[in-house]
Amino acid sequence: MKSKLLSDISELLENNIISQEVASNITTYYKSKEDDQPNRLFTVFGVLGATLVGLGIILILAHNWDNFSRIIKTFFAFLPLVIGQIISGFTILKKKSQAWKESSGTFLFFAIGASIALISQIYNIPGDLGSYLFTWIVLALPLIYLLNSKAVSILIIVFASYYACELGYNFGYKDSTPWMYLVFILATLPFYLKLLKKSPLANSTSIFNWLYVLSFTIVLGTFINSNWPVGFLMYAMLFGVFYNLGKVPIYKNQQLRRNSFTIIGSLGSVVLLTILSFNIIWEEVVKRASIAMNTQEMLIATVLLILAFAVLLYSKKNEKNERFNLFQYVFLIVAIIFFIGVANAIAATVLTNILILVLGLSAIKIGADTFRFSVLNYGLLIITAVIVCRFFDTDMSFVFRGILFVAVGFGFFLTNYIMLKKKKELNR
Amino acid sequence: MKTIHIFILFVVVAVIQLFVPAKMILDREDVLKTGITYKFKTRPVDPNDPFRGKYITLNYEMDSAETNDSIWKRGETIFVYLKNDSLGYAKVHSVSKEEKDIDRDYVEAKVRWNYGNSNTVNFELPFDRFYMEETKAKPAEDIYRKYNRRRDTLNQTYALVAIKNGKAVLKDVYINDKPIAYYLEKGNNQ
Repeated sequence: MKSKLLSDISELLENNIISQEVASNITTYYKSKEDDQPNRLFTVFGVLGATLVGLGIILILAHNWDNFSRIIKTFFAFLPLVIGQIISGFTILKKKSQAWKESSGTFLFFAIGASIALISQIYNIPGDLGSYLFTWIVLALPLIYLLNSKAVSILIIVFASYYACELGYNFGYKDSTPWMYLVFILATLPFYLKLLKKSPLANSTSIFNWLYVLSFTIVLGTFINSNWPVGFLMYAMLFGVFYNLGKVPIYKNQQLRRNSFTIIGSLGSVVLLTILSFNIIWEEVVKRASIAMNTQEMLIATVLLILAFAVLLYSKKNEKNERFNLFQYVFLIVAIIFFIGVANAIAATVLTNILILVLGLSAIKIGADTFRFSVLNYGLLIITAVIVCRFFDTDMSFVFRGILFVAVGFGFFLTNYIMLKKKKELNR
Repeated sequence: MKTIHIFILFVVVAVIQLFVPAKMILDREDVLKTGITYKFKTRPVDPNDPFRGKYITLNYEMDSAETNDSIWKRGETIFVYLKNDSLGYAKVHSVSKEEKDIDRDYVEAKVRWNYGNSNTVNFELPFDRFYMEETKAKPAEDIYRKYNRRRDTLNQTYALVAIKNGKAVLKDVYINDKPIAYYLEKGNNQ
């Protein structure tokens, strides 16, 4: 790669395309970039290595070495922890490179887990997995900031989610709400915001974008207790927050694959609406949902609604002459439908189906206006999904269903064809 | 922030990281050394924990008590006061929602369930895990089950638990006054 570049530059120089100065500028630029490269690779391998060694130590200690006395076992409980601390302390004091910080932080993170695990074994400390993970996370959290470590931050987010699922998805006995998850996530946010400010386009930052979105999506369900139908409302509001966050300037101009907020916000809303398009769901909502504000579910849904609305206003404030995008308002419409649904299942079902169809059409329109085939076909898929679903719970005749399918199929061909033609004309 | 400040903060965090496991050890050592030991008759089983390895789950014969309070919430803390029966096994003296001012040892357990109209409350004692070396957990459980299955008075399985100020540390699991490890060795030698 480098040699090819150099030969290209010399060729350009010989033919007087670029000046000597430009040539030397280009070579120094690529050289400095290359100096950066091995360091990054070293960081990745360092973190991977530290993770494997740390997990290996946990497994070796989990063997429960019966032949060792309690004192020797206790010594081994502290050994990895102290080694991790010495390496991390050395890294901070000697101002070692980022690779050192990430690797030593990762190792220390796992050493903490190994240490408290071994002590639990020696003294037969019962405590479920949840309380064990809790201690582990609390002890490791400060490392994010002390070592300025992305790897530790990622581990904390993953383990906090694990902790929340362990506590919250324990159906039946001991089912509780993992409020401490929120505290852990809040504690990682300043680090994320700093990354977002410093390097919003870096790959590592987009890993965090995805991690937060996935974590929230997975964990929100643990906050649902007995009033479960309101869970639909909670998720609709969460996806509303996501989608509108995706429209905030800092994420909006990023590539779509980095913008987890837009992707999950949009996909999540569509999937949720597809589920809600079934009449049986609304019948359950009528029977079991309580919209009393003193239930935990309603409270969380309201907080998320306010949050989504605030983000919506913020994104609108920054983009004055932005076109109307229905997806940004879906959460508000779902909230209204939900309150109708508590009283009348049929009305809510009909309204949900209309909403999905309109969403599909608006996606097609956006796709056609901006010449983006992906968005156009996404809209068509939404419409297809709702039609396919309707076949399961309606008494439509086979002929009519067949005709609908054929019509939608033709719609796919036609819209794509027309757009392709238009695009070619425009290019000409 | 200067490096030295970060380093000092790191040292503080490191000390806390060392202190928490050390405190876990010291608390248990204290109970083991100065606590009073009770024998809890068991009912039997080899689950494992992804981080902490294999263990036997212990169920206890003593898992319910008479109570005058009819409303107990699942997972609520229950103070179980202890006495010894004529054979030297732990029995419930009384249960309470709060700490009582009586001169008896107690353990903090979790309420499992109680039927609203009956005055019996079912609880879960907090020392239900006995960690074993991974290769031994399964044979140990088999032995434990074998001896527990015979409902005669000859074979008695029980857990030896040290108790102090409501804190309990499981010391060992015994079958007929010999630690379970003895039966494992016997099994290996045969």
